[in-house]
Amino acid sequence: MKVNSLAFRLVAGAGLWLAAGLLAGGFLLSDIFEDSVERSFDARLQVYLESLIAVSRAGNAGRLELARGLGEPRFTQPYSGWYWQVSGAHGPVLRSRSLWDMTLNDKGGEDGALHTYIADGPDGRSLRVVERNVSLPGFPHRLRYMVAAEESEISREVAHFNEILTYGLAALGFGLIAAVLIQVHFGLTPLRRMREGLSSIRAGRTERLAGSFPAEVQPLAEELNALLEHNADVVERARTHVGNLAHALKTPLAVLANEAAREKGQLADSVLRQTDVMRRQVDHYLSRARAAAMSGVLGVRTAVLPAVEDLKRTLERIHAERHIEITVGGDRDASFRGERQDLEEMLGNLMDNGCKWAHGRVAVAVAHAGDRLTVVVEDDGPGLSPDERAQLFQRGKRLDEAVPGSGLGLAIVRDIAELYGGSVTLDRADLGGLQVRLTLPAAESKAVGTA
Amino acid sequence: MRILAIEDEPDLARQLADALREAGYAVDVAHDGEQGHYLGETETYDAVVLDLGLPVMDGITVLERWRRAGRNMPVLILTARDRWSEKVSGFDAGADDYVTKPFQMEEVLARLRALIRRAAGHASAEIECGPLRLDTRSSRVTLRGATVKLTAQEYRLLAYLLHHRGRVVSRTELTEHLYDQDFDRDSNTIEVFVGRLRKKIGADMIQTVRGLGYQLIAPDERMKGRTAPTRGDEGRGEPT
Repeated sequence: MKVNSLAFRLVAGAGLWLAAGLLAGGFLLSDIFEDSVERSFDARLQVYLESLIAVSRAGNAGRLELARGLGEPRFTQPYSGWYWQVSGAHGPVLRSRSLWDMTLNDKGGEDGALHTYIADGPDGRSLRVVERNVSLPGFPHRLRYMVAAEESEISREVAHFNEILTYGLAALGFGLIAAVLIQVHFGLTPLRRMREGLSSIRAGRTERLAGSFPAEVQPLAEELNALLEHNADVVERARTHVGNLAHALKTPLAVLANEAAREKGQLADSVLRQTDVMRRQVDHYLSRARAAAMSGVLGVRTAVLPAVEDLKRTLERIHAERHIEITVGGDRDASFRGERQDLEEMLGNLMDNGCKWAHGRVAVAVAHAGDRLTVVVEDDGPGLSPDERAQLFQRGKRLDEAVPGSGLGLAIVRDIAELYGGSVTLDRADLGGLQVRLTLPAAESKAVGTA
Repeated sequence: MRILAIEDEPDLARQLADALREAGYAVDVAHDGEQGHYLGETETYDAVVLDLGLPVMDGITVLERWRRAGRNMPVLILTARDRWSEKVSGFDAGADDYVTKPFQMEEVLARLRALIRRAAGHASAEIECGPLRLDTRSSRVTLRGATVKLTAQEYRLLAYLLHHRGRVVSRTELTEHLYDQDFDRDSNTIEVFVGRLRKKIGADMIQTVRGLGYQLIAPDERMKGRTAPTRGDEGRGEPT
């Protein structure tokens, strides 16, 4: 779980208030319990005190004696922790056997009320004492009755309770945290689904976020879809404008060039040369602009083979005079992660080049492996030397003026391919001529049909 | 040979028309899609030069309508739309060739010649009929190797007959293919031109088939009593 995540916030938040709640609850419970244990302890002491007073009587020679025992064996075992003592005006007159040779120090008041306090006992242990002054018949002075027991009895019981309480609350805390985790996981599922949807759009498997989301997230999904559509719209508009610009510039260029071609002289020559330069520049930058407009669009995929087959049909008509045989083969599932128009632009230029140079055969092979697809275009023409191949990509370079074509074809193909993160490499073809290998990002295979 | 040029840019339309006329074609010009479509549907042309970005009706629609109506004259698309996707849709609409602007006039003329030749079923750039030979690239006619001097009208007539050698061509068909729509058509002028041609290339090359029209045929083939095959000429021109 990342620190900066919704899940972390929810779980950490729940953890904090759970810890605070459980701690406060624990302290409160422990406190209440301790209080109640103390009170019941005091009540027991009081019962013994009342019994002690009840069994006191004046015996022989005016001495105080007990009519019978208190029935609690711990008062007779030495230093058992349970003690009683009766004091007269001149110190203790009667003590429990458990006190042995000790006496209890009294701190009580002189009135007849019941007093409860803590006092030091044998071995420095602290004792809980109840004390009362009582006037008995036959005694001139008030007698001070005290019953005491070691306080550790209370703390032992409280400690035991606290132990059980701690384990219980810890178990409850863990249970609650587990419940929170499950709840957060379940609650955030729609967001995870949305993320998966977006990544399949990036990967080119789908075009839009599909399915319905909970009410809180649905508007987000709709906004995202609207954004994707807006993006596609903007790009489409840019493409249209660029197309219009091309049309608007090229017709006047044609007029100028044709007019100049009919004339002789320096002016006509410069016009011809300059219109040719302008034409190349327009071609180059318009292709780049069109490709740049498209390459960022998400969620588009184009099946490769149908595009190749369309181009084959067209090129066979363009080169009808020369009876070029174009063979097409390869992976029917291969899809390009990008616009059909851009794919056709690249493949059209490559196949057209092949047709221009071929003696009679052009072969196109489509393959795809992982997230890459390759299209290999070969011809049986004269081919190129390694040096010529190296020169070919310079912009506007035309190796043979005799074959019509701008010479920009390959450079445009490379520009578009690179905008998509692909590449173009040249080699010698098995057929004897030039082999051009175009590598492009593939859309992930999925049964989504796109024309 | 008669060409229809549909181009909305006036300067370019004028240049095209001039160049085509200089090359020996009869030319009609239309400046919008609707007018162009109407001409292509009602008149007879040997080829059409069609711009795609036209006012009123775009070029692809014009082309598709012609093809649906069975008009199958060769069409050369001349456009600034140079994306391959646009070329594919142009050819799929029924175009026969595609030239992108800016272009060189020579290229348009060369491609038109090739289209017209292919439509008449000739694979080679040179068309022969006995001793007579037409080089479509240079628009030159030779008779037994010697150049025959022809006026523009005579050339058009002879070139049409050569493209359709061996077939009987009616006067109406000739009129339709030789003159642009503004020309004052009088079928008698055809007879005048045929007469002049006979003087230049020999009277026996052009036969008059009574009530039907004219037939260009090599003398030796006629003697064998058969006509030369006319390939790939389905339905172009009207049989009379």
